[in-house]
Amino acid sequence: MASASFNPNPTLVAPTKLSSRKKQAERRSLWVDDEEDDSGLGSEDEELIDSDEVFDLIRSISDPEHKSMSLEQLAVVSAPQIDISNERNRVLVEFTPTVPHCGMSTLIGLSIRVRLLRSLPSRFKIDIKVKPGSHQSEQTVNKQLNDKERVAAALENPALLEALETCLQSAGRRGRPADAD
Amino acid sequence: MDVDTPYKLTAVAELTGHEDRAWNVAWNPTKPLLASCSADKSIRLWTYTPTSSDDPNLSFTLHAAIPTVHTKTVRALAWSPSGTTLASASFDSNIGIWQREGEEDGGEEAAGEWDCVATVEGHETECKSVAWSASGNLLASCSRDKTVWVWEAEPDADFECMGVLMEHTQDVKCVAWHPTEDILASGSYDDTIKLYLDDPSEDWFCFATLTGHTSTVWALAWAPGGRYLASASDDCTIRIWKRVETHKWECVDVLKGHERTVYTISWGVGRPNTKEGEGTVNLGWLASAGGDGRINVWEFEDAPDADAKTPPAHKLIAKMDNAHGVYDINSIAWCPRKGYEDLLATAGDDGSARVWKVVPS
Repeated sequence: MASASFNPNPTLVAPTKLSSRKKQAERRSLWVDDEEDDSGLGSEDEELIDSDEVFDLIRSISDPEHKSMSLEQLAVVSAPQIDISNERNRVLVEFTPTVPHCGMSTLIGLSIRVRLLRSLPSRFKIDIKVKPGSHQSEQTVNKQLNDKERVAAALENPALLEALETCLQSAGRRGRPADAD
Repeated sequence: MDVDTPYKLTAVAELTGHEDRAWNVAWNPTKPLLASCSADKSIRLWTYTPTSSDDPNLSFTLHAAIPTVHTKTVRALAWSPSGTTLASASFDSNIGIWQREGEEDGGEEAAGEWDCVATVEGHETECKSVAWSASGNLLASCSRDKTVWVWEAEPDADFECMGVLMEHTQDVKCVAWHPTEDILASGSYDDTIKLYLDDPSEDWFCFATLTGHTSTVWALAWAPGGRYLASASDDCTIRIWKRVETHKWECVDVLKGHERTVYTISWGVGRPNTKEGEGTVNLGWLASAGGDGRINVWEFEDAPDADAKTPPAHKLIAKMDNAHGVYDINSIAWCPRKGYEDLLATAGDDGSARVWKVVPS
């Protein structure tokens, strides 16, 4: 991992309030918190899922470079950048690297993908892309993030998997501050 | 937009047991065996009876579950033309060579366990595909390390490297041998297809680069006669390449019919009794599948007046949506054995291998 910082002074945004939908989702316990859970073809398959709920799943993933900060705080992810179709079983998540030369973009994208693979019902096909124009190697990053064979191989790489798990540790907070754990 | 097709796919068997995504299926060309491999690092072998796919009692049973020696995902399998040897490509970068103990001496009856008789090492990173040449004398492999290796199979499961081809600029996803000649094709993450030949006085070399796909080339399949090559891509299309000169292939058609990445294609001979029109040449059936979970089967034929660059006529003859439920299909393969030409096997992200029969609808 490079020791030089890609973005030493990131801009922070305040986390949004919990949406009413989010509370609703919690009451229904749409997702169990256990990251290992693979929801498979359970009854929750009939539940409609909206972009706020997908956002809740990924907002608290830690940034690989600024580990104490979440992807939401760094404005890397936001609800409007998530496009979900329950009819077609598709989810498209766009994320915005903090700087156009961000060398961590692949790892960020991978952490979003893995979080969604583990949490969303398996009927969803997931596409992850950097926001158009937000990264100098946009096409390269997008291609890598959406190649299932590369993703599968990455998850069999112990060093990479460890880095991913570190980012995902905080994902279960879903917007709650760290001290609420 | 539903089209009525003259054939349909009926489910013959659902073969379960893998504990993770199933990546590949391979039919043994001479014996009633179907092999599947998975991210769970294992290979499963299934046997089937009776002697023709038309028998209503066609059934599959588990023959062996091999834990393998691979330390990572087993990505691909290939049977040698003789049917005695199975090669496995793994993300651990090695190729496993498998034979059944005692098969050569005592025949089928005396045969015992499946053993790893050799591990072929050479690639630096994930090995993604392996293929035997038509003669069975050559084995090709490819990897994320951007190389294609050609190995000569020597007696006693010894493999000598005949060439390392460093033509692609990115991961090489697949390799496929021409059905009758020692011509090798490879497809890559760099969106191109490369064709290679052995120069008797020199080394293996690349004699053609086929461009046209706008994203990763995931799979290649030669038509039974070897005049055509089909390629499947992340651009959701299948391209048909035609031999226009001895060492020149050109794209003559682009097939659409998938909504997500086409991960796999297989070109079989089709039903032996397929009716041929006036002077047309039957080119068999092409099956494709991928991230949209759909299986498509196309019938191809050459018109009697086809010239060097005329595309073959094709029509979609069967289609099956959600063949593995909501899951991606990673592999599709026609059974190469006589009497079973209408059998297809698939492997999916649900961990299952499935067998389908193409029947008139």
